[in-house]
Amino acid sequence: MTTGIVYHPAYLSHEQHPAHPERKERLSYTLDQLEEEGIWDDPRIIRITPAPANEADISAVHSEEYITFLRTMSRTGGYIDFDTNIPPGLYDSARLAAGGAIAAADAVSNGSVENAFALVRPPGHHARSGMGAGFCYLNNMAIMVRRIQKNGYKKVMILDWDAHHGDGTQDIFYNDASVFFSSIHQSPFYPGSGYISETGYGEGEGYTVNMPVPAGTTDVSYRYLFTKVIEPLAHEFRPDFIAVSAGQDNHFTDPLTGLALTARGYAEMMQRAVRLSGDICEGRLVAVLEGGYSVEAGLPYTNLGVIAAMAGMDLTGIREPGAYETLLSGAVDPSAHLQVIETTRDLSAILAQYWRCFRDLA
Amino acid sequence: MLTGMDIGGTNTDVACISDDIFCVKVPNELGFAAALEHVPAKGRLAVSTSQPLNRVIAGSPLKVQSIIIPGPGLYYPGGVSGAINHRGDLVEAVDPEEVRRILEHNPADVLSISAKFSVRNPGIEEAIAEIAREYYPVEKIAVSHVLGRLNFPARIATTELNACMKETVLGISGMIREHIADFYYFKGDGGLVAPGLAHQNPGLLYNSSSAAVALGAYYLSREKDCLVIDIGGTTTDQVLLRDGKPVMERIRINDRNTLIESVAAQSLPYGGDSYIGERLEPTRIGNALAFGGAEPTLTDALNCCGHSIGDSARSLVMDPDIAYEAVRYYVSLLSDAVLSYKPKKIVGTGYLARWLIPLLSRKTGVPASLPEHGESANAVGVAVSRVSMTLWGHFDTGRRRAVINGELVPLPAWNDDDDLIAACREKVREMALRAGADPEDLKEICLVYFNSYDVVRQGYRNETIADVVMQVAPGITAGVL
Repeated sequence: MTTGIVYHPAYLSHEQHPAHPERKERLSYTLDQLEEEGIWDDPRIIRITPAPANEADISAVHSEEYITFLRTMSRTGGYIDFDTNIPPGLYDSARLAAGGAIAAADAVSNGSVENAFALVRPPGHHARSGMGAGFCYLNNMAIMVRRIQKNGYKKVMILDWDAHHGDGTQDIFYNDASVFFSSIHQSPFYPGSGYISETGYGEGEGYTVNMPVPAGTTDVSYRYLFTKVIEPLAHEFRPDFIAVSAGQDNHFTDPLTGLALTARGYAEMMQRAVRLSGDICEGRLVAVLEGGYSVEAGLPYTNLGVIAAMAGMDLTGIREPGAYETLLSGAVDPSAHLQVIETTRDLSAILAQYWRCFRDLA
Repeated sequence: MLTGMDIGGTNTDVACISDDIFCVKVPNELGFAAALEHVPAKGRLAVSTSQPLNRVIAGSPLKVQSIIIPGPGLYYPGGVSGAINHRGDLVEAVDPEEVRRILEHNPADVLSISAKFSVRNPGIEEAIAEIAREYYPVEKIAVSHVLGRLNFPARIATTELNACMKETVLGISGMIREHIADFYYFKGDGGLVAPGLAHQNPGLLYNSSSAAVALGAYYLSREKDCLVIDIGGTTTDQVLLRDGKPVMERIRINDRNTLIESVAAQSLPYGGDSYIGERLEPTRIGNALAFGGAEPTLTDALNCCGHSIGDSARSLVMDPDIAYEAVRYYVSLLSDAVLSYKPKKIVGTGYLARWLIPLLSRKTGVPASLPEHGESANAVGVAVSRVSMTLWGHFDTGRRRAVINGELVPLPAWNDDDDLIAACREKVREMALRAGADPEDLKEICLVYFNSYDVVRQGYRNETIADVVMQVAPGITAGVL
């Protein structure tokens, strides 16, 4: 198993302002952890240096008006929403992040690696065709998916496990039957979308699946959703490629969210995604970093866990320090899993209109 | 007076450099003291111990007990409890009883102790080493934090090698100090280091012959871009010089990455003492017949082809056809190796260079030069080298903690990045001067890496973390250039 890790030192340089949650510090501890683990020396890891996305790739997703707006505002600085400023030079940073996702997709497409993780900043999954939001400017995932399709892999399944609903990505592919968008996210929560009733539109109807989970949700519920929803759907949709929007803000130490996933939970979730891609699409899987704001206590362990799972490494040691146990017990809501089961039953009933696997269960 | 000494497989070369260059080759069978007799009482002595250390590694019969403290992250079977995190915080305690049980039940010749992130806080390794001293003498214990750099698997591999080499290096230091109190060791990267640091991290000294030859060849020839071919007794080494400097690489030993930096060199397993039976063999049985040996070697084959090396009459017992074929085979092999570099020029060094390099030049069509004293280029390179060192610094204002090369030091005060860089530059300068560096060699201190970022908690920037790598680069001391 060879896993590509896309990284560029410039991924550290983007900051809306120095105290913003999406700041340089976000990846610094992760890079220390990877360096100390000897990841870059490991024969199972291939480091990929990205180039900025070109205009054609960006235009395949974003409107010309929005691209012009971003480019213009990047010269002087600007403003999109309350927590999404445009610092000077942003457009170059965003193009390099999108280029990282493209580099990951290309490396998997041409077989130089079996799967790949784009460790990019800034994130992208809240960005729509015509506007950015929620720390996101260009939708790295969507730009990558269009590139995957250009590479000849027509059917792509997106699995977005960021704690926030991937509203931008959903919107871009809402009426597109070639791209299956699935999302597990905390609800109710920002951005306020991602209900089970949102299932796609027109030709895309049935190709969007949302799995909202309550605060306090743990590893158990994520495993349950893989078993009950994601894996059956993937087997029936039969994608040519699986693309993961790998948000790391479900971690129990994340200061912006309320979920209770552990580093091992992340690793095992990625391990299942890797196995699924092996069963369905010859292992073609690519992951793109989205959110994740527990920069010190969470990200070094979750990012390492994701990489270890992708590269087929032993996951036995993937965990947080023992000192964090009380934080985990404080984050868990014992009643959350029951709510997840109930929501999944309702979701299955909706999906049965479109997918045989849920009719069979019924 | 600068004196360099290179302990090779067959001989120890000594070069003394002042206004003139004086070189001597002392057979190892006469003992180390015989070589030291040629070292002047005054001036600086530098010693390259490549061959004894290479022998320790290549054929090490030592059993290593390796205590590994992995903490959270990638898995290491048999890991011991305890953990330090990326900020250097002790997040899981060591269990002294567990450590004692392991030390009692798995005795070995030497002990290696490596904790993940120990270069951010050496506490765990120091605590375990203190317990371990009840079971192992200090010269048989190596710890990983002194390596100063992140990369746990490579640090484990290097620390295990260090545990194997430490006693040998201490022994060599003892022998040298019986004759000369102050001296330097020559490192695999081509710089000099004080013995104390070499005792902590003997890997610094590994594979230093190639660096010695590279520096010596450049000093003697002043060829900046060339391929140096050093023909020794048992091997023929090739080192590429670019802009007067050898190319460096991090080396692998026994299929494991280490943190040992050394000059990139290719080696053919043939040299002047290579035995010839029916054909040239990659084996050394003893000296050439021409130098009192009992079996014919490549040196004797050259004598059979018309040269006069040593007591050449003794060589003529060889079958001339076998001799010719052995020389032809050697030049052909070396020619293929040389052409793969596409060099513009060859500089030949080593005792047999003056006979074999012209043949090689004719075969490859690459012009060659043979610098004066080239037969002792290795010792010359050791003599003209300079004190070099690298500072690996991690500074964390939130934890009030600074670590330089794995050791906790007082946290310096700084206002901005330039301040910290200047403080590190001064620190490495102080360290180098204390180690005996020529102040002229410290005019260029290179900033190899710098990264700093703010730590933001509750929306406020109230802490800073910075990483600095600063280097006095290895090379030739300004005093002789």
